[in-house]
Amino acid sequence: MTPSNGTTSEKWNLRLYTAGQSPKSLAALDNLKRVCEEHLPGRYSIEVIDLLKNPRLAKDDQIVAIPTLVRKLPEPLRRIVGDLSDTERTLVGLQLRQIK
Amino acid sequence: MEPISADFEQELALLREKLEEAEDVRRAITRGEVDAFVVGPGGSGRVLLLANAYQRYRQLVERMSQGAVTATANGHILFANQRFSEMLGVPLAQLYTAPLESYVTVSDRARLSAFLMVSARDSQIEVELNRRDGSSIPVRLSLASFADGYASLLVTDQRPLQWPSVAVDALDSIRSSLGKLNQSLAGDAAGRDALSAIGEEINGLARMIDEMVDVEGSAERKGSL
Repeated sequence: MTPSNGTTSEKWNLRLYTAGQSPKSLAALDNLKRVCEEHLPGRYSIEVIDLLKNPRLAKDDQIVAIPTLVRKLPEPLRRIVGDLSDTERTLVGLQLRQIK
Repeated sequence: MEPISADFEQELALLREKLEEAEDVRRAITRGEVDAFVVGPGGSGRVLLLANAYQRYRQLVERMSQGAVTATANGHILFANQRFSEMLGVPLAQLYTAPLESYVTVSDRARLSAFLMVSARDSQIEVELNRRDGSSIPVRLSLASFADGYASLLVTDQRPLQWPSVAVDALDSIRSSLGKLNQSLAGDAAGRDALSAIGEEINGLARMIDEMVDVEGSAERKGSL
């Protein structure tokens, strides 16, 4: 696996699917911001999709459990299910760190 | 041994990817990292929240000063908070599954039924609730949401707010004490001036509380200090 953080200035587009302000959704957003600020400062955007308001949007990224993070860019698309409390797993899932 | 075709390798990679995704979902569930699921055809259906996902909001609703009621499509109470129970003077356990209209005065029942059928969010209606002790209280019902046939209503007590009796008693007590002090300071002009200033301060405070609770009578009606 090749880490995608590298030294490039590529823009990261992340989409976080949430269920309103459920505890796990809020935790995921908080954890995601922390990871992004640490590893992708200034070159990421987070789009939060509240599936309680519009559940049909789940179909776009085949979401089954909430919260789910989807890395839209850089490609390939990656999904991470859960509140992102396991930072190591989040970094590996986003390909910001290689599997040990 | 036949060489593996490119199609087969591609299909294998796809299956591996799907297996990893399924494993990721399973792992997140077993670790308690998710609190909602999307159900329905093609993932385009509804979001189901786990029971504890909205625990803190539920606690908030349980403790808020407004009544809250969720009624089924046929007008039976599915959920009510403690405040609504207090408004009616009826234990919560007795409210569940009871017809909501049975707690509304007879003359308001038809209006209530029509109101629940309209089901427009933020619409309001004023009705009289029947209390268990035989009295009634005017309330405003506001439709907070209507989903899946369930109407969630906020119930606001429309009775004018009043000073709590304990506050009125405290005011009387202070007034009495200051009166006695005033008599004992008959020859002390400076002391009586100071006492008068204290009395004015307390009257001002009483008027401020009056305005906050929008009481029809003023502090003066309760007697000046």
